[in-house]
Amino acid sequence: MADTKKVIFKIHRGETVQGQFASRTEEFEVEYGRSTTVLQALESIKADQDGSLTFRRSCCASICGSCGMVINNRSRLACKTKVRELVDGVADKNLPASDVIEIAPQKNQPVLKDLAGDISNFYEKVDTINPYVQEGKEADKQVNKSSFEQVNMVSNCIMCGCCYSDCTEMAASPEFLGPAALAKAFRFVADPREGHKTERLKELSEKNGIWDCTRCGMCVDACPKDVAPMEAITKLRTRAMEAGVTDNPGAKHAIAFKNDIAKAGMLNEPMLLLKTLGVSGAIGQLGNALHLAKKGKIPSIFPHKVEGVQEVENIFKELDANPIEVETKQEDTGPGAG
Amino acid sequence: MSKNGLNYAYYPGCAAKQIQKEADWSARAISEKMGIKLHDMPKATCCGAGNLQEHDPAAGLAVCARIFSQAEEMGMDICTICNTCLQTFTFANERLKNEPELLEKINEVLAKAGVRPYMGTIDVKHLIWVMVDDLGVEEVKKHVQKPLNGLKVAPFYGCHALRPHEVFNGRGGQAPQYLDTIIGALGGESVDYNGKDKCCGFHTMLVQEDTFLKMSGGHSLEAKREGAEIMVSPCTLCDMALGAYQARSEKFLGQKIELPEMSISQLVGTAFGLDHKKLGFNRLHQNPENVFKSRGVA
Repeated sequence: MADTKKVIFKIHRGETVQGQFASRTEEFEVEYGRSTTVLQALESIKADQDGSLTFRRSCCASICGSCGMVINNRSRLACKTKVRELVDGVADKNLPASDVIEIAPQKNQPVLKDLAGDISNFYEKVDTINPYVQEGKEADKQVNKSSFEQVNMVSNCIMCGCCYSDCTEMAASPEFLGPAALAKAFRFVADPREGHKTERLKELSEKNGIWDCTRCGMCVDACPKDVAPMEAITKLRTRAMEAGVTDNPGAKHAIAFKNDIAKAGMLNEPMLLLKTLGVSGAIGQLGNALHLAKKGKIPSIFPHKVEGVQEVENIFKELDANPIEVETKQEDTGPGAG
Repeated sequence: MSKNGLNYAYYPGCAAKQIQKEADWSARAISEKMGIKLHDMPKATCCGAGNLQEHDPAAGLAVCARIFSQAEEMGMDICTICNTCLQTFTFANERLKNEPELLEKINEVLAKAGVRPYMGTIDVKHLIWVMVDDLGVEEVKKHVQKPLNGLKVAPFYGCHALRPHEVFNGRGGQAPQYLDTIIGALGGESVDYNGKDKCCGFHTMLVQEDTFLKMSGGHSLEAKREGAEIMVSPCTLCDMALGAYQARSEKFLGQKIELPEMSISQLVGTAFGLDHKKLGFNRLHQNPENVFKSRGVA
């Protein structure tokens, strides 16, 4: 091959020996050309250098979702990621330039061998949200064309697990339902034919559900199919509050903002605490408050009022009188969307 | 790259106005030194922090548009020192700029409320972007009077200035290294660690405190293990999570962290030779003075 270059692949490998997982890192030199994908590079290592290297793959066209793995510190599809772009760096594709290509199995789940993880938790969580349209009294028989605008993007999920692997909440709290399952849940809440929308929103508002997301955005960057799970989670929060599912700290916290902004323009942080957690919850925060007070970090309960705050009240009044629909982004509509 | 010389409509955000005042003081002090002119926005409200946007998405857009309109009237881009404000604004601005029908609908609401319409012409920037992209890092270097002498600094970027990378037009995601660039310009050495672009947990603080303390404390411990002597963040909320709450994380994790954390502006101010009191060092939960002294940055 005339135009080929060489690069080192540093691969995190491992297997279970006598009940103990033993990991190691191995380096392989790989030749690559303009269009060589990470998956092709791994195939060449397996064919020419070490036949025991284990990874999943099937379609080679970012449809099956089998080859999700951590490539230079982010979960990506090996078949969709070009070696040249990893080496050179492409800002638009969120790829910093790198001398070495580091490959590891997906995070937030156990490793079976080398790059193949045990993805059963991921699947089980998707299963817990009942991933199908349910019969029920909220079901609408008519499906408008515009209904697709909401479900288009989330229907693109190929269950590759990249979002689950990069999720920062999952890393700290393994019981979290996770971005893929919640995006899937939104797909059904947003489907006019679904019969139990409110019940779903109630269940999703419980612990390990929509309010546990940190909004870190990792899932949006990780998703190779532009599902943008965090956006779906945000929309679920909006719909839950609209449906009156507000008796939880997450919803109470979100709702408190509007009132503060209309009243003074600024957040009233001590009151925010009280409104989010209630009196007993706020008392539980006394330790934290005293700790902050040591450094003079207790804000006034009467924050300075910003100029022209009446305008904000006018805006809210106008929107209450004549609501406008802003949920659907332009990019989610029309030909080519979804 | 800048709209109006080095003049910016300054938007510190609620946290810097109420709790993390030291971030505001030091941002103003270093900007003055560098000739970056920060103009107050007396009519600016809270941005909604994504929370208003979840509760009432249309109101969230309108509140942001009202703030953008003020900056537009001033003829300046917005400069902020809070990542969550940066992201909330960027989400709104991206839509208002790219969806003419939406902008028209929001402007109708503004007009009825007696607010000047937004024409979609401003950009929203973080102060660290202004320093690197608009001013230039060579210019930053000129003001360094007390170089950091190889001080090992852990940059903590904060999610809301990085992701989703598409909305930040090449300024977010994995590739840009604003903090690393600035730390290098000050004579410090950037520490690489896994947590540097992860989540501080701030936005789950009230919903699940344990997870929050585990996240924030975990990043600090990791940075320290990798040799960090100090940690800096460009976000007032990350500052709170990693600095002000560090002792709470220590208690939860049952081990000492003792890693001084400060706003990037405080670190820049230190290297510029500004008075530590003026930079609000007395408000930090972990005193950084000994760390600076040990490196001869006194």
